[in-house]
Order: sequence, then structure tokens, then C-alpha cells
Amino acid sequence: MMRDSFSEYHPFNNFLYFVLVIGFSLALSHPLAQGVALVCAMTYIISIDGKKSVLFLLKYCLPMVLLTAFINPAFNHEGTTILMYFSNGNPLTLESILYGFSAGTMLVTLLLWFASFNRVMTSDKFIYLFGKVIPALSLVLSMSLRFVPKFKSQMATVTEAQRSIGRDVSSGSLWSRTKTAILIFSIMITWALENAIETADSMKSRGYGLKGRTAFSIYRFDERDKYTFVWLAFCGLFLLSGSLLSAFGFKYFPNVRYAALDMTTIPFYCVYFALCITPVVLNLKEERKWKTLVSKM
Amino acid sequence: MKRILSLILTFVLLLSFTACSGNFAQVDLKEPIALADDGIVERDVFEKIKNENAIATFTGESSEMEYEWTIFGSDLKDTKDVNLSITLEKTEKGIKIKFSETEDFGFPALLSVHLNEKWKVDSATAFDDGSAVYSVSITGSKTSILNISVNKIVAECEVLPDDTKQTESTPSTETTAPDNDDKDSSETNKTDSYLSDVKDSDNRVYSDGQNKGKDKYETDPVPEGKPLPVEPEDQEFDKKKTYTCTFSIECSTILNNLKELDPDKRELVPSNGVILAPTKVTFYEGESVFDVLQRVCKEKGIHMESSWTPIYNSAYIEGIHNLYEFDCGELSGWMYRVNGWYPNYGCSRYQLVDGEVVEWRYTCDLGNDVGREGTW
Repeated sequence: MMRDSFSEYHPFNNFLYFVLVIGFSLALSHPLAQGVALVCAMTYIISIDGKKSVLFLLKYCLPMVLLTAFINPAFNHEGTTILMYFSNGNPLTLESILYGFSAGTMLVTLLLWFASFNRVMTSDKFIYLFGKVIPALSLVLSMSLRFVPKFKSQMATVTEAQRSIGRDVSSGSLWSRTKTAILIFSIMITWALENAIETADSMKSRGYGLKGRTAFSIYRFDERDKYTFVWLAFCGLFLLSGSLLSAFGFKYFPNVRYAALDMTTIPFYCVYFALCITPVVLNLKEERKWKTLVSKM
Repeated sequence: MKRILSLILTFVLLLSFTACSGNFAQVDLKEPIALADDGIVERDVFEKIKNENAIATFTGESSEMEYEWTIFGSDLKDTKDVNLSITLEKTEKGIKIKFSETEDFGFPALLSVHLNEKWKVDSATAFDDGSAVYSVSITGSKTSILNISVNKIVAECEVLPDDTKQTESTPSTETTAPDNDDKDSSETNKTDSYLSDVKDSDNRVYSDGQNKGKDKYETDPVPEGKPLPVEPEDQEFDKKKTYTCTFSIECSTILNNLKELDPDKRELVPSNGVILAPTKVTFYEGESVFDVLQRVCKEKGIHMESSWTPIYNSAYIEGIHNLYEFDCGELSGWMYRVNGWYPNYGCSRYQLVDGEVVEWRYTCDLGNDVGREGTW
């Protein structure tokens, strides 16, 4: 696990990076591009989250890819390569299996990008970026993004408190356990509603969203942010033009067809890799700099 | 150093832009190409069609009738300059076509003539001095489109509609002299001869046309003299008794609507539109059109996808040969016709009898362009 120095860059760069990688992960269906995105997303989340994310990958992501690869051919029978027939007479095609794999990979890649998005784009950064433009929506968004972890920790607290007064969810008859669970759930709902109203009231009484209101923020768009922005913008435009020129073209149906890998298309993949791996490279660079500084002392 | 890096990258960007834009040539084969006044299409254009393995259409007009040529890159071998213009002229019964080109093209091409009127027949024949030269299939919804597969060039020919078969195939005219039937139709037109044989032997129930209103599977009354649907759960197979019927699958209407076709599916369309030429197939007593279609497709390795639709109590054919419903416009899909009639119920409910002729046809206009009668 390393220090995530990318998250110390200007929020605008953080946000732009995630918009680009998530957008291209959705738009590009070429297996090579998907592979590049998956590898980079994995590297990044492991580098900032450590062992926990490796476990998550093995436990949830791998089965998810396999599951979509199995489920897709059950509903999708398009494709020219017929492997065998189902009992209802519809064909099992190679293309539908490949498409299932591709869809599963995309799903996992997006999941990983959003996991690191949650780590990097904290709600204060989000509010900083969008608080002026769309105050209500950005507050709602950041509140709802924060809701799940907050709900989970509050639930643990409430469960503990209930246990100490004799309402234990883990012991007793099924009926009493269910009753306790329903009680805890009801407490949680009340808490969540109250909490939302309180937050909204509190923000309102502080004048959130009013004209002329300023907010303290510690972010500064300095030299390194300028360079990073130029780099991200360049990658975005380059890849956009690449996908418009169908350098990433890949069709699964009715038969697999793709843009050949040659001197005109390979640069696009290199740039895509470079874009996706940017935060990891920045983190490594920072780490090395830190180490050299330490040794000099 | 970063400045230099970004400069280099900008250079790479420009380089790849110019490299990619070089791939685009002047003629766009995806769009129909209007013929020049002299009608000559140069060899280069054919070379391009061949190299890109494209499907090109050339359009022209004569006597206020539009015509178009559809040429498949896969059919082209030797190429040369070809004059594609034709002169159309309306005659008393049909239409006269004069070709400007005198030599053979050297490749097959599909000529589609858009008439300004509706011919109520399925097929027509082109005659050159009394001898038949081309057989013409007719599609089109409000006005007819004559589709002629041109291999050899004749100076001029006259297209005349074939005698209407539709009246013959309805049982009302079935009483016409059986002797006549044996002599003529059994040789040329097998569709008609068996109908009289079948009637007596099978135990099929025909509609008397008395029923009004829909049945419980949303089916409108079946026209008089047409077989009533047999529910799949009531169908009893008798594997001891085998019969034969004729099956064919074709999608020639797509060739008239290539603009609408999903670009990814272009390569799937056969140049004559025929996916399965009329084939004799064996089936067991009691089997439905769907059962036989499924088996035929499996045997011939033709892709077919169906889904069971409970409200119509029948299977629905979503796609054959990877050509799916809605692939060629939002009114497109697969329909089946038995002995010249499009049943108004699903193919799992049509129980076949010996000798029937089943055609699966792709429509781009809810069946109006493949000779379906009536309104929806």
C-alpha cells in the first residue's frame, strides 16, 4: 500500500481523470482496451487499498465475470458460430459467450473505477467542484454517496446498544430475533430520515447555495496541476479522435470483427494505457522523491 | 522537459490524424450512387466494390420509373466499364426493358424496377421474342418492385406478370377440372396439384368463415377455407407416418432496402436473397411449421432464434441467419407463407400436411412487400 498522492492533486484533475477513464471504459469494447483498463484499475485500487481489495477482486469480481459469461448466452443467441443447441432449440454461439466475457469485464472495471473514485473524490472535493454550479444536486449526491458507509457504522452502534439492553439479534428464538431485527431496522430508518433533514437544515442555516456566499477551500491549481491537466486533456482528445476513427472498433455480432492492430492503431492503445496508469505513476514518482529526501536527511 | 514531451505527443497526434484520413476515398459505397447521364460506370468503381467487398447500389430513372442495380463485391471477378442505364417503357400488359449495354457484364447483378402501380402477383417473367429469359420476383408495398437477377444481357425484353396463382390456391376454385390440373400444374406448378389430394386424406379442420371475433390467443377469424390453428399441446406426433413438404427461406426484400439495413449485417445478405433454396424435407405426421423449421435449420447449420410467446401460444421467430426482426427498418421481421397464404396465427399452431409449400420470407414492411393480403 502506498500514499495516494494523486488524491492531493487539484479536485478538478481528479474528477477529469475519472470522467475520462470511466467514459472510455464504457465506450470502448475492444478486448485489448478493456484489458488495459482492467489491469490499470486493478493496479490503482490495490496500490491505494492494499490487501483488502485483492480479496474483493477474488471474491466478487472474478465470479461476476464468469457469471455474466455464462448468463449472457442463455438469453442472447445471436452470432454465426454455432457451438451447440439448447433444449429449446436455440443455438449457443461463440459470439454470445465472448460478449458475456466482455460485458463482465466492463462491469468489473467500472466497479473498480468507482471504488477508487470513492476513495479519491471525497465529498468535500465534490462540493468544492459543484457547490457553486449545482448546489442542491451536489449536496444530494455527496450526501447519498456518504449515506451507505454512515448507515453501516450507525447500524453497528445501534445493534451494540440494543444488545446491551438484552435485545440480541444473534441469540434467542427465531421469532424474538426477527422482532429485534425489525426494531433495529425501524430505528435506522427513523435515524436516516432525521439525519437527512438535520443535514439539510444545517446546510440551509449556514447559507449554503446562497448568492455571494464563499466557502473555504484549501485547493490551489498550481504548476503540477497545470501539467497534469494538459496531459489529461491531450489523452482525452487523442482517444476521442481515435474512437471516432474507429481505431478501437470491435464488433461481436453477427461475427467477431475488429480493427487490425497496426502502426495506425497501436499508438491509441499506448496512450490509453498511459492515461489509465497516470495516478499510479504519479504515486510511484512521489514515493521515490520522498525516499530520496529521507535518505539525505 | 514536460513541454518537450507534450510537443512530441502533439506531433504524434497530428501524424496519426493524417495517416487515418488517407484511408477515406472519394466514392462512398454505403450510399446509393446516382448513375451519370450516359449510364457508364467505370472499372475503378467496380474494383473498389470488389476490394471492399461492399454492396453497392446504382440508381437511375426512365419514363418516370426509378430503377436500381444492386451489385455485390463478392460476385465481382473481372471488371470493366459497364453501361448500367436502361430504358423502360410501359406496354399494354407489362413493361419493356431495353439495356444500353450490349455485352454481358461478367458478373450477376440485381435489377430492381420500381413501378408506379401495383401488380397483384408474386412473380413475373421476362420474355425476349416469346422465350423466357429472366424470372422476376415481385416485392414492394403500395407499388410493386420487379427484381430481376441479370446474368446475361439481351437487347430488350418484356416483363409480363405471371398468371395469378392466388385464386387457384383458394379452395373455392378447387373444383376446376382435375384433368387439367394433372397435365399442366403438376409439371410446372407443384403448389396446386396436391391440394386436391390432400383434402380428402387428412383430418385437418378448415375454417368455414362463420366464426366472428378473436379466439383466446388473440387470433382474428381465419378466412374461409383456410386451416384452423391446432394448439401445440394438442398436436400428436406419429413417427411412423412421414410426409414431405417444401421449405424455403429468403430475404430478397432486404436488397430493395439496403439503406435501412443494419450496417453490421450487410455481409450476411446473400446476393440473390436466398438463404435456403426450395428443399424437400421430410416430417412426421402432426408436426407444425415451427417444428420443421427448427429441424431444417439445425440440419443445414442455419442460425435461427425463436422465443415462446404465451399470449399467442406459439413460438415467435426472432431471427434466421442472424438477420433479426427490426434489422432492416422498424417494420421488418420474418413471416411464413404456406401455399401462398400468410397464416394469421403463429407457426407453432400451423400443423403441416403432406406436400405443402412453406416459404419463410423476410419483410421490411409488415408483410405488405412480400404479398401479404389484407390489413393488420
